Amino acid sequence: MPITHSFDYQKPGSLREALALLARKSAVALAGGTDLIGHLKEGLVSPELLVDLKGLKELKKIEHRGGALHIGALVTFAEVIDSKVIGKKLPVLAEIARKVASVGIRNRATLVGNLCSAVPCLDTGPILVAMDALVLVKGKRGSRKIPAEKWFIAPRKTARKPGELVTGISIPLPRGKAAACYLKLGRYRGEDLAQASVFVSIEQSSRGAKARNFRVAFGSVGPVPCRARKIEKALAAGGALIDMVALKKLVPAEISPITDIRASKEYRLHMCQVMLERALAAADGRLNGTGPAYGASLL
Amino acid sequence: MSGHKFIGKSVVRVDGKAKLTGAAAFVDDLEFGPGLLHAVIIESPHAYAKIRKIDFAKALDVEGVVKVVTGKEFPYRFGLYMHDRYVFAQDHVRFVGEQVAAVIARTPAVAKKAAGLVKVEYEVLKPVLDVETALKEDARLIHPELGNYHHVPWFFPKKDTNIAHFRKVRKGDAEQGFREADHVFEDTYTVPRYAHCSIETHGAIGLFDHSRRLTVWAASQSPHTQRHLFAEALAPLGLKHKDIRVIAPSVGGGFGGKAGVSMEILAAALATTVQGSPVKVHWTREQEFYNTYQRQGVVAKMRVGVKNDGTITALEQKLYWDAGAYVEYGANVVNAAGLSASGPYRIPNVHIDSVCVYTNLPPGGPYRGFGYSEFLFGLESHFNEVAKKLGIDPVEFRRKNAICTGDVLNYGGKMNPSGLLECIDKVAREIDWGKKRVSADPRKAIGKGFALFWKAPAMPPNASSTAFLKFNEDGSLNILVSAMEIGQGFLTVMAQIAAEVLSVPPEKIRVETPDTDRNPYEWQTVASHITWGTGNAVKKAAIDAREQILDIVSSALGQPRESLYLDDEQVRSRSDAGFALPLRDFVINGIMMKDGTFRGGPIIGRGMFMPEFASALSDPETSQGGKPNVHYTVGASAIEIEVDRETGKITIPKVVLGVDCGKVLNPDLLKGQVTGGMVQGLATVLYEDMRFDEKGRLLNPNFTDYKIPTALDTPEEIVSIFVEHEQPDGPFGARGVGEHTMIPAAPIIANAIEDALGIRIRSMPITAEKIALAIKDS
Amino acid sequence: MKKRIRFVLNGEKRAIDVAPQETLLEALRDGLGVKSPKCGCDRGDCGTCTVMIDGRTVRSCLVLGVEVDGAVVTTLEGVMENGELSPLQQAFLDRNAFQCGFCAPGMIMSATELLARNEQPTREEVQEGLAGNLCRCTGYSPIIDAVLETAGVVPKGGRDERP
Repeated sequence: MPITHSFDYQKPGSLREALALLARKSAVALAGGTDLIGHLKEGLVSPELLVDLKGLKELKKIEHRGGALHIGALVTFAEVIDSKVIGKKLPVLAEIARKVASVGIRNRATLVGNLCSAVPCLDTGPILVAMDALVLVKGKRGSRKIPAEKWFIAPRKTARKPGELVTGISIPLPRGKAAACYLKLGRYRGEDLAQASVFVSIEQSSRGAKARNFRVAFGSVGPVPCRARKIEKALAAGGALIDMVALKKLVPAEISPITDIRASKEYRLHMCQVMLERALAAADGRLNGTGPAYGASLL
Repeated sequence: MSGHKFIGKSVVRVDGKAKLTGAAAFVDDLEFGPGLLHAVIIESPHAYAKIRKIDFAKALDVEGVVKVVTGKEFPYRFGLYMHDRYVFAQDHVRFVGEQVAAVIARTPAVAKKAAGLVKVEYEVLKPVLDVETALKEDARLIHPELGNYHHVPWFFPKKDTNIAHFRKVRKGDAEQGFREADHVFEDTYTVPRYAHCSIETHGAIGLFDHSRRLTVWAASQSPHTQRHLFAEALAPLGLKHKDIRVIAPSVGGGFGGKAGVSMEILAAALATTVQGSPVKVHWTREQEFYNTYQRQGVVAKMRVGVKNDGTITALEQKLYWDAGAYVEYGANVVNAAGLSASGPYRIPNVHIDSVCVYTNLPPGGPYRGFGYSEFLFGLESHFNEVAKKLGIDPVEFRRKNAICTGDVLNYGGKMNPSGLLECIDKVAREIDWGKKRVSADPRKAIGKGFALFWKAPAMPPNASSTAFLKFNEDGSLNILVSAMEIGQGFLTVMAQIAAEVLSVPPEKIRVETPDTDRNPYEWQTVASHITWGTGNAVKKAAIDAREQILDIVSSALGQPRESLYLDDEQVRSRSDAGFALPLRDFVINGIMMKDGTFRGGPIIGRGMFMPEFASALSDPETSQGGKPNVHYTVGASAIEIEVDRETGKITIPKVVLGVDCGKVLNPDLLKGQVTGGMVQGLATVLYEDMRFDEKGRLLNPNFTDYKIPTALDTPEEIVSIFVEHEQPDGPFGARGVGEHTMIPAAPIIANAIEDALGIRIRSMPITAEKIALAIKDS
Repeated sequence: MKKRIRFVLNGEKRAIDVAPQETLLEALRDGLGVKSPKCGCDRGDCGTCTVMIDGRTVRSCLVLGVEVDGAVVTTLEGVMENGELSPLQQAFLDRNAFQCGFCAPGMIMSATELLARNEQPTREEVQEGLAGNLCRCTGYSPIIDAVLETAGVVPKGGRDERP
């Protein structure tokens, strides 16, 4: 299926130049292109100019600085998987990246592109909202840092304004000892869009050996990724003991799943409960050094 | 039979190097130069509607547009077994995606753009989307003119209804059989529609040149049948069969989807409107899903009468097939399934109604298994339940009732040689039947499932195959046939058959995909019949060549004819150990006599095979009397699964399939059929299915939401067991086997789930979701 | 408006003009006559269009031709070694790791990248590495075995010779 719409293509060498081009009417940024080129074929977008960002070296970095992980807009999922820094500081991010599509897509598709797509089933949503990540945005008139929870507005709708460019994200890292787990439900073991997903992170608190902080978020069970604050609270209050029966009862209040071609509302709800339990167990095990390796199949 | 040099050996595939280096050319790889035109099809957005007006003036205005074609140009009905469809919709559209018009342009992009400018006005009608609605007394008729449609004599349409064909089978006395039974068990099972998902989509290029010769290059399982249907459909243009040529390059997967004629008619017909220019029609993945043949859905209602000891006394099967908007091919699936819907069992009293129902969904048609996968899901699930209710082991129940050589078939003929009992025993042993395993994971349950299967080629009684075989100067040879290599390894097996007869190694034999101008007739590559049918033709051609060779050597050199034989590419003599004449010395140039003259000359073998014993003539009320099926291939299959009680997810440590293929011609290729077929079958039961909305629109015409297996979704172990009870009329004893390997997949899974969890699921697919929710509800 | 791009294709320097809306797949097949990458779904799901850019596999249906300016592009045509099958291709042949052959070019490209990055993959790593390349014929096991055989993880596959 050919792209019938014709457009111009520019590959700027500097961010300044890129922002100037993107300020033009009907200009669209191109990074990995795995979403954008599909949309062009389907006629969902009809830009006059594609601004290829791949000449901007400063957007290719993965850095650990100031207690946070900075990931540039051009970092691909394959690079996330291969990154030593991520493997050391936030290995669950690599676990997530490995669940995204397949090798040939991950070699091209970027993490930032994923969050710009803002589809309800996106894999990077739950971790970003749970970890209070910031989306770094630059426009001609300056920069903004948008908290992930404010970034996702509705399916395929983000807080980005026309002409603005997402240059990267910043994920604050846990201060203490921490472990996490991402579980993605698909229709089979092969590549699939999430029917539902759960992200759990457990952090040893400075308030004492037994005190722990929990971060929990769900994906694909609402218009945007949802942070499960009631569950987090209940977990933190429970200390070392987790009352799973009580916890599972909180799940329906946290999510708003629908029935669509990928799963029914009932199955999504049921599996969010099952996955919450399994993700908590895995993260807990990882924290104690007894859990499954990151990336292991737990469903 | 021992002593074969090439038969029964895992000969290396003759098409391997071409396919692994990119040298193999598929239809989309062919070059036609700058004159090539591209057609984009305007499709119906409605499942049922009247076409009021088509306005394409704006499309014609676009630079690069050559022509816009609508149904007006081709007001003819055609079809394979029933003439019920059109090149383009005429006054009505009957499914979402039906072709309404075409824009022909210089580039694909221009064609696509201009197609968006064609405006079609419809009067939308209420569609008929399921068999229940279609069978209601006051149902809207999808084909009001059904009564006038031309069809093959073995179809029985009911005019003024939506029933396109009604196959009745009455063997023995079913009511009497139910009276004799100690128990009667009944149930209903449903199977949705499925897509073939060849990785190559359909494509065809037509060229109607200025001498009025029509050539079509197509991704095809049926070059000669396509030629014939093109000739029939376009007869008003005055084309003769000799003027039409179909060239079939490498095919990227078939599974039945590229049999008959579906979108290829568009390339043929459109070519006649732009004489002198080749025109290409290439289906997108979406079109591949909604406008080729689909596997039909079925609702199966069955009753089984059994004695306390497990003997089956009677079976009633009522199969209601959702055949879609056009049934020119799909009705024959209904027919074939109807004749065999008892499964491979000895049942004295059988009552089958197999009903082909028009609906406003895409046309049904052939799919690997041809109706058997569909009815076996219900039948083999139900027999398991029956055995359980009687307290009999399901394998024992099957062994007790399994059909044997010489048993009477549903239509009165005798069962061919059958190693079914041997298959049952070997498969049961391999899966460790009767031994329960307990999962190491307390959340998981382990279960085993067992099922039998059978299938006969569904073909007209006069479906024939032919072969030419030509020797070359160096003693190598080329075989010309028109059956298709669609992945199964057909070319390799044909080379092996000729090699065995002629003592020429397969690597010196070239067999390629056909051109109907050059290659002799073949009906179609469907029905698991070509190893058998075309194999017979090739064997006959090789024998024909061998006889010519021995004749000429005998007459030219005075060797006693009966002493001569072929060995190691030479003519040898049993009476003269020193005699050895290499084939290359004379198979083209002949044998020089003492006076310098020559005898013999180019050796060309010819072979033809027609199943002269087959007949489709039978009593329409009972199906008794004819011999519609040439043979049945039978087998057994078993699986072990591990299922997670919380998630419903299944893993498969082991699956076993045992089949009586008559004679294994190439073990590796046969194993390939088992592995590939089983994985394809497992996907239909575990996650694939086509979903339609309330307006008849297909919701998942892509691999994003129609999931086919990936490398991560294979069973841990697939064991193939081959049993050989030779087919007397098959080449070296072989019979068909290509489809059979996917047929038992659904019931073995369903039965294993029941074994593991005690839950019987009666509708496919049996997704993790369905299992998990069923456990929750139970 | 067409743009001039320069890149290395299967070891040869090429300069061609492409329109910005042309995909790499179209540029290779229609513009350059390189036919091994196939179009199976046109949206990145099936993997038949897999080629390498700078040693990493991509879906050429989801890359624009203009994007490979300055890159090294490899297709199956560039995988052969002196006109001979690569060890991986040979293992595919020995194990019947293909049937219709349509997915084979993309499958071999993905497997080539996998082995280049992981010389001793486990079965699961091979499955994961090839999961984006759909094959409807083989059921995958012979493909997985062929890759493992090439890596020396499983012994060379003897052909099935039953008595």
